[in-house]
Amino acid sequence: MIKNGDTEGGADNTGGRMTNDSAGGMPDGMKMVCCGTAAYPGRLNIIPDKPETLYYIGALPEDIPTVGIVGARLCSHYGRTQAFEFGRALASRGIQVVSGMAIGIDCYAQEGALSAGGRTFSVLGSGADVCYPKSNYTAYREIIRHGGVMSEEKPGTPPLARNFPKRNRMISALSDILIVVEAREKSGSLITVDFALEQGKTVFAVPGRVGDSLSDGCNYLIAQGAGIAYSPEAVLFELESLKRTKNSEKSTGNSEPCENEDLPVKKRRTDLPPVRKSVRNPEADPGLSKEARCLYKFISRDPMTLDGLLAASGLEPSEAAPALLELMMSDYIEEIARHSYVKK
Amino acid sequence: MFKTILSAAIAGIEVIPVHVEADVSDGLPQFSMVGCLTHEVKEAQDRVLTSLRNIGLAMMPKHITINMSPADVPKSGSRFDLPIILGILAADGAIPADSLEGVMAVGELSLNGDLNPVTGILPVAIKAKEMKIRCLLVPRLNEWEGRAVGDLKVIGFSNIPEVLDFLRRGTIPLHSGREMPSPLLNRYEEDMSDIHGQESVKRAAEVAVAGFHNLLMVGPPGSGKTMLARRVPTILPPLTLEESLEISQIYSIAGLLSPEHPVMGTRPFRSPHHTLTPQALSGGGRIPSPGEITLSHRGILFLDEMPEFARRSLEILRQPLEDREIVIARASGSFRFPANFLLLAAMNPCPCGYYPDANQCHCTPREISNYMNRISQPLLDRIDLCVECPPVPYDDLTGNARKGSTSQEIRSRVAAVHEIQRKRFAGTKIHFNSEIPAGRMEEFCVMDPGAGKLLKNAFSKMRLSARAYHRVVKVARTIADLDGSPDIRGKHISEAICYRSIDKKYWRI
Repeated sequence: MIKNGDTEGGADNTGGRMTNDSAGGMPDGMKMVCCGTAAYPGRLNIIPDKPETLYYIGALPEDIPTVGIVGARLCSHYGRTQAFEFGRALASRGIQVVSGMAIGIDCYAQEGALSAGGRTFSVLGSGADVCYPKSNYTAYREIIRHGGVMSEEKPGTPPLARNFPKRNRMISALSDILIVVEAREKSGSLITVDFALEQGKTVFAVPGRVGDSLSDGCNYLIAQGAGIAYSPEAVLFELESLKRTKNSEKSTGNSEPCENEDLPVKKRRTDLPPVRKSVRNPEADPGLSKEARCLYKFISRDPMTLDGLLAASGLEPSEAAPALLELMMSDYIEEIARHSYVKK
Repeated sequence: MFKTILSAAIAGIEVIPVHVEADVSDGLPQFSMVGCLTHEVKEAQDRVLTSLRNIGLAMMPKHITINMSPADVPKSGSRFDLPIILGILAADGAIPADSLEGVMAVGELSLNGDLNPVTGILPVAIKAKEMKIRCLLVPRLNEWEGRAVGDLKVIGFSNIPEVLDFLRRGTIPLHSGREMPSPLLNRYEEDMSDIHGQESVKRAAEVAVAGFHNLLMVGPPGSGKTMLARRVPTILPPLTLEESLEISQIYSIAGLLSPEHPVMGTRPFRSPHHTLTPQALSGGGRIPSPGEITLSHRGILFLDEMPEFARRSLEILRQPLEDREIVIARASGSFRFPANFLLLAAMNPCPCGYYPDANQCHCTPREISNYMNRISQPLLDRIDLCVECPPVPYDDLTGNARKGSTSQEIRSRVAAVHEIQRKRFAGTKIHFNSEIPAGRMEEFCVMDPGAGKLLKNAFSKMRLSARAYHRVVKVARTIADLDGSPDIRGKHISEAICYRSIDKKYWRI
């Protein structure tokens, strides 16, 4: 009797979670797609142990150029701006951005894509109806509206640590190119890189300074031959050439790239898009005061403190404050923590 | 026979005159004491009888009754030993009956008849002066403290025989009446110019002191937050003699005055450790004694490592920061303590202290927000200014940096701003710019059109809250005052925004 009661209770519990929000056995808005059906993303087929069932809310990524952006959760301000910029720039060109919606790089990249009004998708380690971490809830809602969240876990599955490395194989499989923005030497992002390489995807890393522990992983990837993501254009360029290769494969019906098609690769190095320079130069901005132009010289991408600026520029606090506000108001600089300023 | 002598009880920081009545009569030997006394007061009977025997004045067994009136005021401490022994001796006829007329006595007895110092002599002396007492009898070590009031005859005695000599024959002890060192007012060992560099922090401190805005310093460990805080009293306006006596009274009650320097010459700087209990901060005890906020009256209360303080302790600050006093209610009555202090707080930007340096800081965003959350928003709302205290570079330590203004220079600038505020707020209950209520903002904080526009733009751009708005305007008012400008201009608004208080919602992670 007792045993019966227990199993019944257990069944009720799972049933309860599944039917919590709707009578149809799935939470509101949740859809599922099985392996082998037409709706199942074809790109996942390259995974040896591909998920049998995919649960998702919103939409599924289409078979168009897609970039995965991953990186450290505890990122620096540099990583944050780069992730956002790559996400924004790529999404604005109609490229899908896939990531894991983790705190840090993942989320900033997806927020960048959303800011450009592009499409972005999250592969979650928890159930697709579970927003983890909770602090990303706003982003979660937005991603569902402008793309979708998916998971191979059953709805309601809590964020279990063991499920997270597994979901990385889907991020890389869905992408044509994987960009690592910031990663320490032993970073979870490198797991995604391993999957990407196994799946034959191109990996790009955003370079950092030597000595910055948050860039050690990226610099190491570059040393091993990863592409250098020095600007979003570099990634776009690579996507173009990938597309060309693919098309030529299709047209020739030959999986081996022929000699003729390989030639442009050599040429490619010189064809690379130039490093983008900031269009806005405060030195030449007549609207700015003398003090503001003077202070701007001392502000870099590295956080600079107010006190450091005062010491370097020789300005009085009462002169520097208006200049800083001026620069902030005209979007030249940003205050990332109290009295820490960086170039925008 | 029945005799009475005047003494004084201390309730909170108030002094209540107490008549100590002694009755010595024949009957079964007994010593009873009544009049709402704590056990320290009642212990006096053993000290009194033993010391009488030890100075060779052993009494015949008698029925002794002591009453202290008003009998409904709670009395504590050992300061009643001296009036009790004098009352008994007078009632027993050992000293002339009229010698206790117009005399007030306080002091603690030792078993050999010596007199030990007690706390709270200064306020007692002030009360005695008010009551036009002929003579105040105190232990020798308290004499200078009593005489600090001036115009009051205060005599210090080292033991009971000296007191008896005085009461019988008017002999003043030889050691009494020594020349007192005049109080050294406003002599600080530290000076603002000791700090090299850190110009922004010094400027924020100047603004804080000028408009009485509370200040929060955020910086990694070892960046000199404490060093700066210690020098803030030196830029407050000079202490006047009245203020000095007011502070000294509190310190006298708390027993923190030294016998050599019975008057506080400098503004208080209190830096309690973060293990502080709520009672120690507010003042506590059955009959409350002054807490840290009262000890910082007219000075600085510095809370280093603010998030490490117990939340219950921090929340206590909210009411005194508004009312400038604290009222503590106990079963024995409610006690009012002054608490007009400037709050300086220091904290690390994150638990490890290195945020936003991503190479050194390994705190997760959640850890940082938990750390911040230990300080409640209502308390942050009372802190108008926030400044980053950066680590000091080597060049600054070795003296290559700008030295900046001396305390003397800053003090005179601050004094000028205090004078402007005194005139501006004449006839109101407001004293400083930090106290301007939201409703009277337009009256006192006139902005030129440029400043208004800048403030409006900055608000939408920097997503400042409505709460932050008032604080920015009040701080801008002080900065304009420092600049000698009657209207608030754009640059004043900019600087106020630069030092704007933390709004947790927008503490970026």
